[in-house]
Amino acid sequence: MSEDIDVELEQEVAVFYQSFGINQGPGDIQYRLILKVLENKDPGITEFSDIRKYTDQFADRGSIGSKMKTVFQLEGLVKKVKRGGYVITNKGLMAASFLKNTTTFYKKTKKMGEIIERMP
Amino acid sequence: MIVELFLNIIICFAITVSSFTFAFVLARNDEKYSKKSKPALWALIALWTLVGATYLPTTIRMIAAYIGKPAIDTIMYNMSAIPFAFISVPLVFFITYVMVGNEKISKYISFIFAIFGATYLGFFYSSGAIGPIVTEWTSIFIVNSDIAIQIYLMGLFVFPTAMILGLLLLMFITRSIAISIHRTVLPLVAISFVFDFILTDFITSVDTIQVVSRVFVLVGTAQAFLAYFPQTVFNERISTKGKTESPEIDEENDEFEYEDDIKT
Repeated sequence: MSEDIDVELEQEVAVFYQSFGINQGPGDIQYRLILKVLENKDPGITEFSDIRKYTDQFADRGSIGSKMKTVFQLEGLVKKVKRGGYVITNKGLMAASFLKNTTTFYKKTKKMGEIIERMP
Repeated sequence: MIVELFLNIIICFAITVSSFTFAFVLARNDEKYSKKSKPALWALIALWTLVGATYLPTTIRMIAAYIGKPAIDTIMYNMSAIPFAFISVPLVFFITYVMVGNEKISKYISFIFAIFGATYLGFFYSSGAIGPIVTEWTSIFIVNSDIAIQIYLMGLFVFPTAMILGLLLLMFITRSIAISIHRTVLPLVAISFVFDFILTDFITSVDTIQVVSRVFVLVGTAQAFLAYFPQTVFNERISTKGKTESPEIDEENDEFEYEDDIKT
């Protein structure tokens, strides 16, 4: 399963959730991008460099590494299979599915918001 | 003096005045609306002006029936058919613009409905109408062309009504967004009300149905007016769904104070 990751859209969605006070998970651009990359590479191994390709514009290497360890590995969303190589777990795929729902909700809300904006 | 017919005159007059007033007030407050909502606003103004323009000759026609002037009644009936035929044009523009957001596309689609309206008028005037049949409630004309009625029903009525219902459905599906009921749903319900009952008013051959339809048109107009200019009680009851309590500010210390005391 491989699809292009729309970084701009992911950032828009993250900002949208941040406006609700949700700064972690769906409201965290790093979390979103990491999970997207992991999902795209499934069932293969995701290299750390694959993730950095998308996250470098938002965060440094250290904070991504830290997030991988303290969030993704700790919560069992990924399994480290080699040095700098990760595989997404079933729990991780569930999280990715949830993330998709958050994007759908954002799109739906945005569309409706635009309709309401056009109503006098 | 026929009281029922007099009541009908008052209802028609009330619709005329309230529709024109509503259109005027909307136009006067146009700077309050955002740039994006302006095209829809002007479509709405045109719609309510056409409703008023339909009921102004109808009011005169009812007066003519009341004082026994069938010639004026007929002239006014033919006059009221013109705005009536084009009511769906601004309505279609309003709905398509709100849904699609493209002014050009909305213009093209509403132009198709203008053609439908003109075709309806063509058949209507070429076939004429049977009447007036003055009863104690009203003065009735029967459109002498089945094709004109079919065009109105299929082209000018079904599609705009379906569009309104579609937009309403979309709003109910996406209920996750806290939308202000009186500003979004209520105008659509009001427009639908007015639009449906104007048609019933024009095609019915039963006098009481016509009067009841006019009452509903009046109710729809009042509903639309309340939607845009809600009264205080109305506003308090349905407009604000989730009220948030803002913290009190202690001006002396310039700090926020929260009420922590919960009375048990």
